[in-house]
Amino acid sequence: MGLESKLPHGILLTNLEKFVNYSRSASLWPATFGLACCAIEMMATGGPRHDMSRFGMEVFRGSPRQADLMIVAGRVSNKMAPVLRRVYDQMSDPKWVLSMGVCATSGGMFNNYALVQGVDHIVPVDMYVPGCPPRPEMLLDGILRLHEKIRGQTFAEQGAHG
Amino acid sequence: MASDQTAGAPAVVHPDDRDELYVDGADWETVVDAVEDETITVNMGPQHPSTHGVLRLVLELDGETVRKLTPIIGYLHTGIEKNAEYRTWVQGTTFFTRMDYLSPLFNETAFSIGVERLLGIEAPERAQAVRVILMEFNRIASHLVWLATGGLELGSTTMMTFGFREREHVLDLFESQSGLRMNHAYIRPGGLAQDVTDDFVERCDALLELLPRKIAEYEALLLRNPIWNDRLRGVGIIDAPTCYAYGVTGPLLRAAGVPWDLRKAAPYSGYDRYEFDVVTEDACDSFARFVVRVEEMRQSLHIIRQALDTLPGGPVMVADKRIAWPSQQSLGADGIGNDPEYIRHIMGESMESLINHFKLVTQGFPVPAGQVYVPVESPRGELGYAMTSSGTNKPYRVHVRDPSFVNLQAADLMTRGHMVADVIAVVASLDPVMGGVDR
Amino acid sequence: MTGDHAPAPAFGVPAPGRGLTGEALTTERLAQRLVEAFPGATTDIQHGELTVHVDPGTIIEVLAFCRDDDDFACEMLADLAGVHWPAGDHVVERQASTTGWPEYRTTRERGVIEVQYVVRSVSRNHWLRLSVGVDDDDPRLPTATILYPTANYHEREVYDFFGVDFTGHPDLTRILMPDDWVGHPHRKDYPLGGVDVPYENDQFIPPPDERDLREVVD
Repeated sequence: MGLESKLPHGILLTNLEKFVNYSRSASLWPATFGLACCAIEMMATGGPRHDMSRFGMEVFRGSPRQADLMIVAGRVSNKMAPVLRRVYDQMSDPKWVLSMGVCATSGGMFNNYALVQGVDHIVPVDMYVPGCPPRPEMLLDGILRLHEKIRGQTFAEQGAHG
Repeated sequence: MASDQTAGAPAVVHPDDRDELYVDGADWETVVDAVEDETITVNMGPQHPSTHGVLRLVLELDGETVRKLTPIIGYLHTGIEKNAEYRTWVQGTTFFTRMDYLSPLFNETAFSIGVERLLGIEAPERAQAVRVILMEFNRIASHLVWLATGGLELGSTTMMTFGFREREHVLDLFESQSGLRMNHAYIRPGGLAQDVTDDFVERCDALLELLPRKIAEYEALLLRNPIWNDRLRGVGIIDAPTCYAYGVTGPLLRAAGVPWDLRKAAPYSGYDRYEFDVVTEDACDSFARFVVRVEEMRQSLHIIRQALDTLPGGPVMVADKRIAWPSQQSLGADGIGNDPEYIRHIMGESMESLINHFKLVTQGFPVPAGQVYVPVESPRGELGYAMTSSGTNKPYRVHVRDPSFVNLQAADLMTRGHMVADVIAVVASLDPVMGGVDR
Repeated sequence: MTGDHAPAPAFGVPAPGRGLTGEALTTERLAQRLVEAFPGATTDIQHGELTVHVDPGTIIEVLAFCRDDDDFACEMLADLAGVHWPAGDHVVERQASTTGWPEYRTTRERGVIEVQYVVRSVSRNHWLRLSVGVDDDDPRLPTATILYPTANYHEREVYDFFGVDFTGHPDLTRILMPDDWVGHPHRKDYPLGGVDVPYENDQFIPPPDERDLREVVD
């Protein structure tokens, strides 16, 4: 879905954008894309101590069609790369990608034949969260900055993915 | 069914070969008869909320019943074993700890014991006792994640919140000692990276008081829960001879009645000093594995209690300066990092210490040529490190025998004849960690 | 299906160091019995571990002996792994003068892939390692899945990473690498892969197996 496709570009829509962006950032549903150690920290972020549902995000959608945010949590191997791209393509606009951990951001400590050296080789990334693995607080910080980024985006920028 | 044909229904012909099909279902039985021995192939994963990580399962289904299950793995292959050949022996710890990421301390311990055996040294007793304590806490944390994710996959979201809530307490302990919640790189060849903090015993005591009550809570939630029982009893049977044939170890083997535990059979790191029971069940099904794991958590608490009560003093790293990572460090004035005493010693007082420190950090130490195989009892089974040294400062080849990799072979046998929903229960009770499977 | 499984033996908890049925043979006695049964094999005890070197032609017989003999009683194949010892000049560290890391240089006439089988007896509580060396330009071995079904995944992994062809394996395909991957990554002649990493001052540092620090230092 996306209002972007219905409205012509370039028309001043500040109030509408503010309202829509706020709604989108307030219930950003992640797709389950936990791969390795970062996935456990991501689950801990959804756990009772660092509660992601304060930000409307505890519903991890199994189906990428129902998700807004893909948190790539963990190392992406060459075998997994096409799967990642396919899941990303199945997500409907507007969608965002958060690359969690150093392995997703840049290949991490594994500079070798088996891993994709950074998931931004495959999908466009909106937020990078470093760490090995990042603490849940760090992930929440990244998510909150992503929320701010979403609230600051215009419709034209949000429709520009893929 | 053919004898029940009404006047207008067609003969038994395969649907693909027919010209007409009935939309009101009058010919349903003929359709079923024609395609009786066809199976549907369904793909689950690698991205799937319930397959425990990036595991791809290809199911051949006859209706809802599984005829064959083929796991396809490799989606998390990281080349850790090859990467370790280009790093020193101490740096290898940071790689192998990320292999089976739910039990990192077991990976570190097995690797460190392997290096120590190749060197012909033994870690000091205090280091061994602390290793045991941390490993048993790691076992509890790993079983908590298993309970949490297994419960979530079978429908119990409460178990997910319970499991992660308690795990946070254990991770607090790990963070206070090693600095990291996961993937610690704390257990190094020769001993530990640094000594435990002054409040270590108090922290452990607090945990030992908290956890038994919580384990009783999990039992109250699940043990007599009719949904839990229905979904797990009789599902995923694997008996002892099949376990031997498939190399299955750990809670699966113990749930088949065999009291095989490497901590008793081939004790390492001082386990023979502690008394504990090897928990077995006879039912061989997923429910038995659940009972075994919960009871193992209790046994772990028992071991930790004994280790804490008998915790010896002394150094936590071997005395040999050519191997010992500097580990009797105090914190600097700013509360982090550099120990001013040590820095003053190597920079101002002793040139040899400076050179030794420099060489140790950049070059590592050479390990005599040889081969060892070190099996430890990880929460999932026998975790074995087959290490080959060619006499240099880097490993020549390290092969990890991961329990999840081997146990996954039994998944096919355990799910035949069950329904698709039982596949989830079986895979959950196997407790595979894909980081270990794919390495 | 339910309740139809073979009952587990009713043993108590084994005493430390002992298996489920008591007396174990010593490592030396195990070595002796194996050499008596297979005169071509050589044994080697290091760090308390017994390694038996056998010929590729007799490995299946030796495995069967370990499994079926009453004293050995190795019910389980714990591990099956490969180590590559390449022919020719093999150098681990080329820049000893700049890194200070000890240089390792060795020459072998014949390249060998050493496949190691670790067989374990749960009932007697002992284990031993069988080591087979095959030529690395055409490595072939008979499959052990007929004796130990667990060898299935292990042999696929050794095939994937070393290229060893296990004849008779039910499904010898790549297991951890993508299906269309070319090359066998854990061989010593396969590069680590990896990319140059950008550092400050516009320097791009290559991965560890490609570094020649003399260029950087100069």
